[in-house]
Amino acid sequence: MSTSNVLLTIVSLFLAGTLFINDAYASRDEYQFSTEQQRHDFKTLTATLRCPMCQNQNIADSDAMIAHDMRRKVYQLITEGQTSEQVIDFMKTRYGDFVYYQPPVTKTTIWLWLLPVFVLMVGAYIVFTRKPSSPIEQDESAALAKAEALLEEDK
Amino acid sequence: MSKPIRFVLPLVFFLGLTFFLFQGLFSDPRERDAQTLEKPMPAFSLPDLMDPSTLHTESVFLGEVTLLNVWGVWCVTCKVELPYLTSLSKQGKRIVGLYYDQDLDPDFGTKTLQRVQQEVMETTESLGNPFAFNIFDVYRDTSLDLGVTGAPETLLIDQNGIIRVHHIGDVNPRVWEKKFAKLYDELVANTPKGVKG
Repeated sequence: MSTSNVLLTIVSLFLAGTLFINDAYASRDEYQFSTEQQRHDFKTLTATLRCPMCQNQNIADSDAMIAHDMRRKVYQLITEGQTSEQVIDFMKTRYGDFVYYQPPVTKTTIWLWLLPVFVLMVGAYIVFTRKPSSPIEQDESAALAKAEALLEEDK
Repeated sequence: MSKPIRFVLPLVFFLGLTFFLFQGLFSDPRERDAQTLEKPMPAFSLPDLMDPSTLHTESVFLGEVTLLNVWGVWCVTCKVELPYLTSLSKQGKRIVGLYYDQDLDPDFGTKTLQRVQQEVMETTESLGNPFAFNIFDVYRDTSLDLGVTGAPETLLIDQNGIIRVHHIGDVNPRVWEKKFAKLYDELVANTPKGVKG
C-alpha cells in the first residue's frame, strides 16, 4: 500500500515537473511580442508558411538557415504592424505559391478538388449500376449432387 | 456495364497513374519557379565584404551583364564550383559574389568580420577567386528578397539590372550550357561596349 503511494507521489511530482518545464520553454521564446494578437499571428504564420528549401516542413519546425531568416522576417513584418495577408503576400512574391500551405485555386490545382469528387462519382456509378449477381444456390446444389455421386462411386 | 469498359477503364486508369508516377521519377523536388525572374534587382545597400566602408547598391549591376553567385565558405558545393566559376571569369565574364555567412547570426553573432574575411581569403586563394567583388549580405535580407533558398545559387543579371536566370545549385559546364550560355552570349552581344556602371 505504501509503495503504491510513494509511486503515486513520484509520478505526480514528475508530471508537475513537466508542466514547469513546458512553462519555462514557453517563456524562453525566441521573439518577444507586445500584444497577444501579434504572438498569435506569428505562431499561425510560421506554422502555415512552408520552408522553401526543405521537403515539406513549415518554417516553425525547420532548422534550416532560410527558415530562421524567414521567421525573423515574419517577426519583423508583424511588429511593423503588417497583417497576416500582407506577410503571406510578401513571402509569395519571393518564393511563390509553394511557400504557403494553402494552395490557390488555379487551372492546374483545381484537380485537387475535382478529382476526389470525380473518383467518388465513378465509384458510386459502379456500385449502383452493378447487376446483382445470380443466386449461387443452384450451382451449389448441383455441385453437392455431383460430390454425392462421387462419394457414392467410391463406396 | 458493358464488358469492354470493365477492362478498358481500369487499364486507362492504370496507364495514367503509371505515366504520372514515371514522370515523378525524373523530376527535381528542389526545382521551383523563380519568382524574381524578369524583375529588376531588388533595392539594397550593403557593404563590401573585404572593405566594409564601401557600400554597394543595386546600381552596380547596371551597364554590364553580371553573374551573381550566392555563396559562403561554409557551403561545400560552393567550393566545388569555385574553380569552374574562376575559369568563367578568366574568359572575361563578370562575376559578383553575394556572400552570406551561416555562423554569423545577425542577432547572436559568433564570428567576427575579420574571421569571415580571413576564411574567404584562404578559400579563394586555394580554389580560385572568380569574384570582381563580394557584396556582404549581413542580415541575408537581400538573399530573401531574391528568393534565395540556400547556397549556392547563381543569377544572371542583364545590363539593365533585370534578373534573367535564377539557378539553384552549383554551376558546372553542363548547367552553363543548358541554362546560361545562350542567353549570356545574346545579352553580351547586345550590350554596347564601353558603357559600364
